[in-house]
Amino acid sequence: MSADVELSDVSVTFGSFYAAKNVNVKVNGGEFFSFLGPSGCGKTTLLRAISGFQEPSEGKVLIDNKDMSGIGPNKRPTALIFQNLALFPLMSVSENIAFSLEVRGVSKEERKKRADELLELIALEGQGDKKVHQLSGGQKQRVAIARALAVEPKVLLLDEPLSALDLKLRQRMRTELREIQKRVNITFIYITHDQGEALTMSDRIAVMNEGELEQIGKCDEVYNNPLTPFVATFVGENNPLYGKVTGIEGDKAKIETADGQYLATMNESKKLNIGDESIAFVRPESLFIPRDGDNFDNKIDVNIESFEFEGNLKNFYASLKSGAKIKFSVPNAIDTSSITSGSSIVLGFESSKSVILPKASLAID
Amino acid sequence: MMGIYIFIFFAYLFGPLIIMSITAFNSAEFPSITPWECFSFRWFNEGKIAYDGQHLAGLLSDWRLHDGIISSLIIGAGVVTLSVPIGMAAAIVLTQVRSQLRDIYYSISIMPVLFPGVIIGISTVVLWDRIAGLGGEGFIADIGRNGIFLTILAQTCFISTYCFLIFVARLQRFDQTQEEAALDLGASQTQVFFKILVPYLSPAIASAAVIAFLFSFENYNTTVFSILSDQTLTTVIASKVRLGISPALSALALTIIALTIIAAVTYEVLRRRAEKRYAESEEKFVKEKAADNRINKKYKAGFRIPKGITAILLIVVFATYGATQIVKNDLYGQSCIDTADKKKKSKFLEQLQTLESNELTDEELSGGSLGGNQDYGDIFGDPSLFQDFGGFD
Ligand SMILES: Nc1ncnc2c1ncn2[C@@H]1O[C@H](COP(=O)(O)OP(=O)(O)OP(=O)(O)O)[C@@H](O)[C@H]1O
Ligand SMILES: [Mg+2]
Repeated sequence: MSADVELSDVSVTFGSFYAAKNVNVKVNGGEFFSFLGPSGCGKTTLLRAISGFQEPSEGKVLIDNKDMSGIGPNKRPTALIFQNLALFPLMSVSENIAFSLEVRGVSKEERKKRADELLELIALEGQGDKKVHQLSGGQKQRVAIARALAVEPKVLLLDEPLSALDLKLRQRMRTELREIQKRVNITFIYITHDQGEALTMSDRIAVMNEGELEQIGKCDEVYNNPLTPFVATFVGENNPLYGKVTGIEGDKAKIETADGQYLATMNESKKLNIGDESIAFVRPESLFIPRDGDNFDNKIDVNIESFEFEGNLKNFYASLKSGAKIKFSVPNAIDTSSITSGSSIVLGFESSKSVILPKASLAID
Repeated sequence: MMGIYIFIFFAYLFGPLIIMSITAFNSAEFPSITPWECFSFRWFNEGKIAYDGQHLAGLLSDWRLHDGIISSLIIGAGVVTLSVPIGMAAAIVLTQVRSQLRDIYYSISIMPVLFPGVIIGISTVVLWDRIAGLGGEGFIADIGRNGIFLTILAQTCFISTYCFLIFVARLQRFDQTQEEAALDLGASQTQVFFKILVPYLSPAIASAAVIAFLFSFENYNTTVFSILSDQTLTTVIASKVRLGISPALSALALTIIALTIIAAVTYEVLRRRAEKRYAESEEKFVKEKAADNRINKKYKAGFRIPKGITAILLIVVFATYGATQIVKNDLYGQSCIDTADKKKKSKFLEQLQTLESNELTDEELSGGSLGGNQDYGDIFGDPSLFQDFGGFD
């Protein structure tokens, strides 16, 4: 059983400070939906509004098309996994998992049966008698998930549950979470500031900045067609090229920068006019070193400053004439031994791989 | 150097208690070590009935002491049942209060500790006297003039503050998201309280209860006013001291000290046992987890001489010395007490005779030409008068 969650014009204020402002989003039943945003942008606040710990100052939260205002967290069909997990340290693993059944007056045998089932789901069979502190970080994580699933909630809310884990474990837990979601088939609303995490797990993501939603969409959509400079730079890496629009050709716009003219694709909803201050974005992996016969829409002269080896990729840091910095990545399989610090080369990129947006502030990370 | 410092510190701390404890075994009417009369347990038992019929009560036969202990226990129980919940509620409220109000609330909450106990006692009595006077006869008037009831209220006034402080300290380390997690999982506020908060607070509840009881049991300055016509242990002792102290009090002190030590040792033993059990389960868990059998090796602990050995030796040496002295000089048992009593009695008689023989004749009274001491037969000049005076027993 899963349920739709709809936030309709939700604002949350603390005094005069807007932690969330006019948020409108509809999460479909059974979906894995992520809120992505930098620290302090109001993600936890939104989640608390959905789970009932924080009444919105304006707007409504609807779960299964029912208005949730005035309904407390213990009466909502949601379960929240806290940023710090909040497992009960004085109880055993099984008691933790069966807590929600205990408070509903479920019999002891029934509780044990359900706890064992859930322990199996999270691959911790036979470890129900341990105390919470005897578990490893990843195991605690899974116990928190099992505890939340025990009530059979219609919506599971997860507040950066993987942030405390190390990289390898985090990657494994991502797959596990995704699998658990498919198995139990309920709505997952996931919060993270890690764009990699959001992209790998989610069906759709919403990017947030300073309490406001910047963009909602499928992962590739958000990645390839960012709506704002913030999204362009927060989701994945992007090189900004600042300039003025000098010409429009269909859905493409020509931008004049200090280093030359480039052609880039406009977003349908963010049409530009000649003379507008704007930014063209090109991702490091979309910049190529032209080979014979290659013909790119745009060319840039750069001066290599340094490079780093990332394993599958080599990252080059270069500067343009105007002093602007640019980063590009080359797969490790390509021979780049001729490119060293100080060498001047020409890079090319396709206009279809570059987006142009009205000027606004970027994500600073 | 450190050892000497610790020795001086403990001697300072426990010296008076040890001396007092020893006096409990001296059969003399006045608590003393020297002169040693006889080794006896009479101050723990019946005490002594002097030949003039006056009863010098021992611990077992002193009904005033017994009544005092009983009311002290009742009051202690009452204070515990009131102050622990009050302190806990106040501390929980503190966690809910935000902003500057919090500091004000905290200051007001701890104020009762700063008031002199005397004032709390008197004000309670004054207040309840008015309340009792309002309704004429009846229940209110009865409890308003009931010393035990008033004492429970008066002591709770400041003892609940100590409980409050204990709970505040524990609650400071409480992760409030646990409460939210429980709520989110469907628990009601009541269930959150009993299933999450109370288990977390249970060590604090235990220590608050113990401390509340001890504070109540030993309180004097509030109790002495609020107890009205009743008596607690402390007021009984205080009124006894006013009449002159008796070795029965030493016996009482020793009993209380012994009970305290037994309680502390029992607690410590139980705690260590629980800790050991916990460590064992933990170890089992680690062994299960670790395939590495280096962990599984047993390390044999070497024999170490405990540090406190000198102190224990010292006590043993003194105790043996004392015991041999007592045995050698035959300063124990009923026969010793009997002879001592007889000696005192004869001395008393002797002194009476002296006084009688020194009584003035009529002739001396009328015709005495000299003033001063000689006129009175020089009784104060008698150098043996107060010597070896055994007291008016
Ligand atoms: N109870 C509160 N009172 C006042 N301000 C608050 C309160 N809770 C949150 N805020 C503010 O609201 C903003 C958003 O907080 P929130 O916890 O939602 O951030 P977040 O996106 O979850 O950040 P993080 O990724 O660091 O967890 C922050 O600026 C925070 O200071
Ligand atoms: Mg957060």
